Amino acid sequence: MFGHACVVAIEVQDLSKVFETGRRRHRRRVDAVDNLSFSVERGERVAYIGPNGAGKSTSIKILTGILHPTQGEASVLGVVPWLDRRRLAARIGTLFGQRSLLWFELTPRQSYRMLAAIYGLDRRREEARIGELGDLLEAGDLFDMPVRSLSLGQRMRCELAACMLHDPEVLFLDEPTIGLDLLAKQRFRELLVRLNTEQGTTIFLTSHDVADIEHVALRAMVINHGSLIYDNEVVAMRRALLSTKLVEVGLSRPAPAPALAGVTVLEHTETTMKLVVDTVTTSIRHVLDDLLDGLPVADISVVDPPLEQVIASIYGRSAV
Amino acid sequence: MRGLAATFRNALAEVRSNRASFVSQISVMVLNDIVWVFFWVLFFRRVGSVRGWDGRNILLLLSVLTAAGGIALGVLANARRIGTMAVDGQLDAVLALPVPPLAHVLLRRVEATNVGDLVFGVVLFLSAGSPTPARAAVFVFAVAAASVLLTAFLVLAGSLAFFAGRNEAGELGFHAMIVLGAYPIDIFAGAAKVLLYTAVPAAFVSSVPARLIEDFDAGSAACLVAVAGVFAFAASASFTLGLRRYTSGSVWTR
Amino acid sequence: MTRRRWPGVTARTAALRVVAERGGMGVTLVFYVLVVVVLASLWRVAVGANGGNVAGYGAAAITWYVVTTEATVIALNNRLIADTGRDIGSGAVAVELLRPASVLGVRVFSELGRCLPRLVACAVVGGVLALVTAGAPPRPATLALAAPSLVLAVACNIVAQHAFAATAFWLRDAGSAWFLYQKLIFILGGMLIPLEALPGWLERTASLLPFRAMSYAPARLASGHLEPVLLVQQVGWLVVLVGLAGAAFRAGERRLQVVGG
Repeated sequence: MFGHACVVAIEVQDLSKVFETGRRRHRRRVDAVDNLSFSVERGERVAYIGPNGAGKSTSIKILTGILHPTQGEASVLGVVPWLDRRRLAARIGTLFGQRSLLWFELTPRQSYRMLAAIYGLDRRREEARIGELGDLLEAGDLFDMPVRSLSLGQRMRCELAACMLHDPEVLFLDEPTIGLDLLAKQRFRELLVRLNTEQGTTIFLTSHDVADIEHVALRAMVINHGSLIYDNEVVAMRRALLSTKLVEVGLSRPAPAPALAGVTVLEHTETTMKLVVDTVTTSIRHVLDDLLDGLPVADISVVDPPLEQVIASIYGRSAV
Repeated sequence: MRGLAATFRNALAEVRSNRASFVSQISVMVLNDIVWVFFWVLFFRRVGSVRGWDGRNILLLLSVLTAAGGIALGVLANARRIGTMAVDGQLDAVLALPVPPLAHVLLRRVEATNVGDLVFGVVLFLSAGSPTPARAAVFVFAVAAASVLLTAFLVLAGSLAFFAGRNEAGELGFHAMIVLGAYPIDIFAGAAKVLLYTAVPAAFVSSVPARLIEDFDAGSAACLVAVAGVFAFAASASFTLGLRRYTSGSVWTR
Repeated sequence: MTRRRWPGVTARTAALRVVAERGGMGVTLVFYVLVVVVLASLWRVAVGANGGNVAGYGAAAITWYVVTTEATVIALNNRLIADTGRDIGSGAVAVELLRPASVLGVRVFSELGRCLPRLVACAVVGGVLALVTAGAPPRPATLALAAPSLVLAVACNIVAQHAFAATAFWLRDAGSAWFLYQKLIFILGGMLIPLEALPGWLERTASLLPFRAMSYAPARLASGHLEPVLLVQQVGWLVVLVGLAGAAFRAGERRLQVVGG
């Protein structure tokens, strides 16, 4: 239609970033990002995941123009981030979980007013947009409270509104759900999906929480030691890598282990039982029903495999 | 421009959000500065005049220094934090915005305590500086130039942290300027004096402006403006170059 | 009775920490040199303009004086009152009540430990600086008295600051007012100006206050005045200040236990 540039949101080619730390004799090179290449189309919801120190934040900071790369090329919305940072900044939104766009002592609305002026929104546009985001993020009633009085979950919704104020085409989020409780996490994930489907915003999300990937993203990229080690649709990833769940059962009295198809017993004591459920062969619901019927269950929980395990299985697979 | 104005408005709103503490912080600084007035009065009462400085023009020096310091450390409070921000990776939020980063950072934070210095400096000039319209005009000019110079020096010293990875130079630069600026330049001689007119231009943030108010001369005024301009340019250049080496605290967290 | 070990251990640990972070020590020393050079220049110029003598101090004496007063102040942590007050105001100090040692004691000894390495470093650098710029001390023997006097000065100051900070047990957010306490030492403690150079009424006022024990006393000794009575006065003030700070902390801790943090 309009050619390549209109479809591609992010294009990365052989990107590297080397940090040098320590002084003189103890100088040490760290390859934070190592020959990274990928591309993301407009309207995608991408999870960019990896363990702590894998290079996620560094690459996202290069893509937003905060850091200069050591080598390689990248463009976001057709702009080279580190050469034309300000022009790009006007068209993207960034949310770093640990760093705030909001002023702690002021109300979110006061911060929005400043951001609106910075992004060149006129007052009518500003009012309209704040109203719209207030509805969309169910946060309108929070906008006039001082930020210091908000809970973390409430604050994150206000932060999200702050970085969406100028209607960015791409939204970069770095560990946005970190520190949130389960309910707030779930709600935040739903909002991200809604922003994407209703406003067409491209979502580029880093996390080391497996659930973020499953509930937000359609595509997952896994990075480790600065390089991409996996890139696929989340559906495919789930089939291949996220096919197991861990079930932990607390027992009110000793009981024999159940024999169920697709379930392996990992650990079994008089009061606890740890089971691995293969969700390809059986459904987790089915297993829970059987467990609750057949065992003296005092307590039960289902957890995702940790990211480290997922990454280990990626390596395991690629080694085969 | 509108963005910068809005930023500064928020910085003011933030510092005034706790009105009682805002007022008390300003008052404490004013009292603190009065201790210095007291010292100089006692000092010159005892020793008469020293190399052309007496109780009268030392108060002019103090008024310019505190007013300019109040602007550089109070109104543009982040000027002395550039080094820390560079080392700790606190510039991310600014760099994610479509604004000129240095201007935004400087306007983003007001410090009540040091605003007290500005208040004190102005009040001191009005009460002890024999203000006439002409002298007041020179005072405003001198304070403006001195605060540009002081701010630029702090930014320059802080920007060294981008290259050194540590902020000792910034800290020392800050202390050196404040300590050296607090005394009349003529108590120094030789190399020290040359240094204070050049690399650590403390002479231009207090002694030169004070003399200008007492006895205006176009040559010194031009000199003051030129030095402020050179340092402003160097500060902006070193900050901009420094950003290319900014590591955003990623060395630790990646 | 077993000998109590915690004061020594606390002080030594704090001292080792300061010595370990050399960067901070470097900044302190450079700052010290800067202030001393400037203030000593000012006074030497003033002495020169007054026929070589201001209030009984000649060029060498005034240099040794300034070198000493600045050491007593710069060796201290200048945020001590604010930090202590914050710990008290926020209730963090409640945790320290659980230790089997006095809250005030641990804090004072740890602060002493922190500041002694800095004090020694400043004193040595200051001594060299004075030797080079102004010559030998007017009466070298008095330095033997100045050394213990320096330690007493710093001890008096630290204890007094704790007494001040203890107001935080009752007052919330008096933080910035404490800042002014330090400024009293500038004039009434003789840091910027020898007490003899003050007008009579102010000199008499200063002689009744504890601040002179915190800065003036060692400087008077180092500048060649053989006045051992100064040491006695310092010890006297230290006892009084310890009594005050101890009473304030005991009352504060009782209040903390009754009212909660």
